[in-house]
Amino acid sequence: MREQLERLRDEAAKAIAAVSSEEALQEIRVRFLGRKGELTALMKGLGALSPEERPIVGQLVNTVKEEVEASLDAALETTREAARSQRLQSERIDVTLPGRRPVNGTKHPISLVVEEVCDIFAGLGFSVAEGPEIEHDWYNFEALNFPPEHPARDMQDTFFVENNLLLRTHTSPVQIRTMLKQKPPVRIIAPGTVYRCDSDATHSPMFHQVEGLMVDQGITFGDLKGILTIFTNQLFGQKTGVRLRPSFFPFTEPSAEVDIACVICGGKGCRVCKNTGWLEILGAGMVDPEVYRHVNYDAEEVSGFAFGMGIERIAMLKYGISDMRLLFENDVRFLRQF
Amino acid sequence: MNVTYNWLKEFVDFDLTPDQLADLLTMLGLEVEGMEKLGEGMDDVVVAVVEEKRQHPNADKLSLCRVNSGTEVLDVVCGAQNFKQGDTVALAKIGATLPGDFKIKRSKIRGEESCGMLCSEKELGLSAESAGIMVLPAGLKLGTPIFAALGLKDTLLEIGLTPNRADCLSAVGIAREIAAKLGQKIRCPENAINESGEPVDKNISVTVEDAEYCPRYAARYLSGCRIAPSPEWLVKRLNAIGVRSINNVVDVTNLVMMELGQPLHAFDCDRLAGQRIVVRRAGEGERFTTLDSQQRTLTGDDLVICDAERPVALAGVMGGENSEIADTTTNILLESAWFLPSAIRKTSKRLGLHTESSHRFERGVDIGGVIHALDRAASLIMELAGGRVAKGSLDVYLGRREPETIVFRPERANAMIGIDLPREEAIGILKRLECAVKELPEGALAVVPPSYRIDLEREIDLVEEIARLNGFDRIPATLPLARVVSDRPTRHQQLEKSVRDILVKHGMNEIINFSFTAPGAADKLLLPGDDSRRSTIRLANPLVDEQSVMRTTLLPGVLETVARNISFRSLDLKLFEMRRVYLPVPGEEMPHEPLYVVGALTGSRDGLGWSRANEAVDFYDAKGIIENLLSQLSIGGVKWVADAPEPFYHPGKSCSIVAGRERIGSVGELHPTVQDNFGLDKPVYCFELDFEKMLTLARQKRTISAPSRFPDSTRDIAMLAPVELPVEKIVECIHSVKAKEVEQVDIFDVYQGKGIPEGFKSIAVRIRYRSYERTLTDDETGRVHGKIVDSLLNKVKVSIR
Repeated sequence: MREQLERLRDEAAKAIAAVSSEEALQEIRVRFLGRKGELTALMKGLGALSPEERPIVGQLVNTVKEEVEASLDAALETTREAARSQRLQSERIDVTLPGRRPVNGTKHPISLVVEEVCDIFAGLGFSVAEGPEIEHDWYNFEALNFPPEHPARDMQDTFFVENNLLLRTHTSPVQIRTMLKQKPPVRIIAPGTVYRCDSDATHSPMFHQVEGLMVDQGITFGDLKGILTIFTNQLFGQKTGVRLRPSFFPFTEPSAEVDIACVICGGKGCRVCKNTGWLEILGAGMVDPEVYRHVNYDAEEVSGFAFGMGIERIAMLKYGISDMRLLFENDVRFLRQF
Repeated sequence: MNVTYNWLKEFVDFDLTPDQLADLLTMLGLEVEGMEKLGEGMDDVVVAVVEEKRQHPNADKLSLCRVNSGTEVLDVVCGAQNFKQGDTVALAKIGATLPGDFKIKRSKIRGEESCGMLCSEKELGLSAESAGIMVLPAGLKLGTPIFAALGLKDTLLEIGLTPNRADCLSAVGIAREIAAKLGQKIRCPENAINESGEPVDKNISVTVEDAEYCPRYAARYLSGCRIAPSPEWLVKRLNAIGVRSINNVVDVTNLVMMELGQPLHAFDCDRLAGQRIVVRRAGEGERFTTLDSQQRTLTGDDLVICDAERPVALAGVMGGENSEIADTTTNILLESAWFLPSAIRKTSKRLGLHTESSHRFERGVDIGGVIHALDRAASLIMELAGGRVAKGSLDVYLGRREPETIVFRPERANAMIGIDLPREEAIGILKRLECAVKELPEGALAVVPPSYRIDLEREIDLVEEIARLNGFDRIPATLPLARVVSDRPTRHQQLEKSVRDILVKHGMNEIINFSFTAPGAADKLLLPGDDSRRSTIRLANPLVDEQSVMRTTLLPGVLETVARNISFRSLDLKLFEMRRVYLPVPGEEMPHEPLYVVGALTGSRDGLGWSRANEAVDFYDAKGIIENLLSQLSIGGVKWVADAPEPFYHPGKSCSIVAGRERIGSVGELHPTVQDNFGLDKPVYCFELDFEKMLTLARQKRTISAPSRFPDSTRDIAMLAPVELPVEKIVECIHSVKAKEVEQVDIFDVYQGKGIPEGFKSIAVRIRYRSYERTLTDDETGRVHGKIVDSLLNKVKVSIR
């Protein structure tokens, strides 16, 4: 019996080594280990052995069985591995075909810039305020210290509606509306649509501004400079140079035009900055006492600054757009790039 | 305001290059917007002498010249006739670039070589017109650049002035700023008038009837003048700053205006009836012809200068044809006056007549400088046109104006600006600005500004002067100490951002159109006559009719955008606009400006691709976007009511969107007529949502339920239903059974046509069952499903296939 077992073991090993398909291996399993298999048949003969021999041979049978099973499993694993790797070898897709891209929409560049500007000022503790676009002359001009018949009104060509109403020429009336509603401290940023009756390559009859206002005790012109430096550095990059130079707005004094070092040429001088190295991006100043008088603030008690910038101008600089009209033509070939 | 570098040097000493000067002025708030360097880059145009001049062999009108430029002798072909051998001329050498980017090259003209060009004044940019080439005075050093040789090197500065700086509308005014910044003294032009003959009031008289509009009127009388062209220096000076030369007298008045800022007017005194000036308001409807030959109709708000009988000038704006200086003029009445700025502005604006004179008067000239300018002009006219100046001047000064004293606290200025300027320096700045400064008790100062600084009225005006003269660049950038305030975006702002984000996520491109539209937009949308959207706000002064009405709906703008894009062959579009519309509110002063959202979809759903069907968008694409939008905003209970909501939609392919009891918008396919009206040839699917209503319905809190951990079980039902049965009824019926095991209901097929009886459609629904408590057995699922099927059979009368 021992010889029989050993012969069986050798035969099984040979049979396993000779085949390479999963089916053939399964057949070998049936032939040796199946219910009617050769090893099973042999095990049935154990009963005929003497009680002394039985455990010894029994042990041997088990060993052979385990060995055959193990080499069958190993052979199966190898075969499957080979089959899978052959399948993987044969499967191929063309990875250069374009992918199925979910269609992405885009926000209008004006919206993107407004969001970015508001985000920067939100980080400085400013909250967003809004106001009507069809505005009363008093909010748009008088309360901002543009008396009737004053040449300063020529700075802003105005669309008029009846009954002293007009299309606001700037977002500054939101300053007035805000200060009439609340007492200092005031820290607001007011984006919005504004209108001037002027239309050419660099002027659009409708455009967008963002207004800022901060009023509290002890606010200085130096603070305005500090806040605007932070803002321009966040918007255009850390090292953007900022320059304030004297200007005039009826509702601020002292007033300043704020220039940044040209973002196109870095200040060396180019066509965009007309070779000055500077780009005018916003107007600013300390709130004029006359404005405080209109909103019942005490100019001796509080001080503050206001600033306003054109969104189109910033969008054009940020995205390198040379013609403002592109912003309102809504050509999807333009819009889809944002 | 135009001024030149050399001219400024006549009034103030400075050691700055033109670029440094421009920078200094800009940093003082006098923004140099443009600079033109006369003669810059023209060093290759040099002084030369014509050594030989002969006829061109092949052209009658050309001559051949041998020209000596000091270092070389060149052959030049010239077409001008106005010079002879031995003349000194301006030679543009090969390589020179003349104004207009005209490059001089070696060339052959009718077979003869030409190595340069002899230039005219026009070609050098020295005058607008010229006859022939420039013949220079003899004795100039050959080879010197022409601009240097003639002393013409100068820089024109174009200064953009803010409306508050009326005092800088003159060369002296700008020179004063330079002097104040540099601590220099100003040199004002001297007046040397040699008066003679009878006193002025024997020749002329002045009556001012309106002292409010004309607080000061001064005049002088000059006799025996000869009107002639101005001398070259005057012509050049005026040309340099862009003023056209007329004759010696008019040019003097213009020069003094540009120099001192005081507009002047010279009348032909012999054409003034009664030799008399009366300043009064015009009569209503009175007619008057100004110097530009335009007849003007005046109103009682206009101030006119009259002689004994009729108007002879529109005060402060323009003189009259009937009294202007002519070649034959000999006796002159010279006017120097001060008019009320708002009065001049009103007249100039109403007549659309903006002149150098009105520009200055409406901003405010120096009432204290009226006589100085008058005398300066009189002495110059005497110098250039001869004649005699009568003794004395008439000065009717009825509305005396003196600068008021301003109390100024230097420490307040420091606190406002954020600097620490010593008191003495602040006083120094004010004095350099020619303010009178006196100490007051308790540290304040009494400051009286000079009369020309009409913009200095309040302490804050002086604070600005301190900041300005001390230099904005010397103010340190600081950060404010701020009190904490609790604030976050309003719900309106948050929701606006959410809607924009969601629509963009759904592949839509945001557009922004102008808020004004054409008046006919409502017609194009087929809105009925009584539609409230026809009541619009109109602009009183639109730029063009197409932009004359504030929109009441975003749709026309969106559809025009669709059409424009299609014309550029962008055929697959998903656009939205979220902006305000402008609705008049009866009985209220201010209109309502609610935010609306309008979308439009057309063309292919996914675009052309290799792995998907190229299907066109339809109603359900538009609806799906809104369903997602509303669900993400937690607006529940939405109904799609097929009530043909808008005339601009296809009546059978559109519906109202109702949430709760509010109609929040509509969606549908564009009506074919509207499609035609906007020039669109493919179907367009649109939606319109009232943002303000969505805002009231959107819930801030949403509850999230944990998913069940037990397995699901699904059952399909295939039904036949009448075509007109809305599928919504089937879904409602399934839910009406109120089985808590129903997790999800999906309609996965709707079909009518072949194999389905006429008038019916086949609908397939999959129901997913699941319990939160245990795994459902087949029996349990079957029982619930059976109830649902029964209910469908009994309540909505479908038949099960």
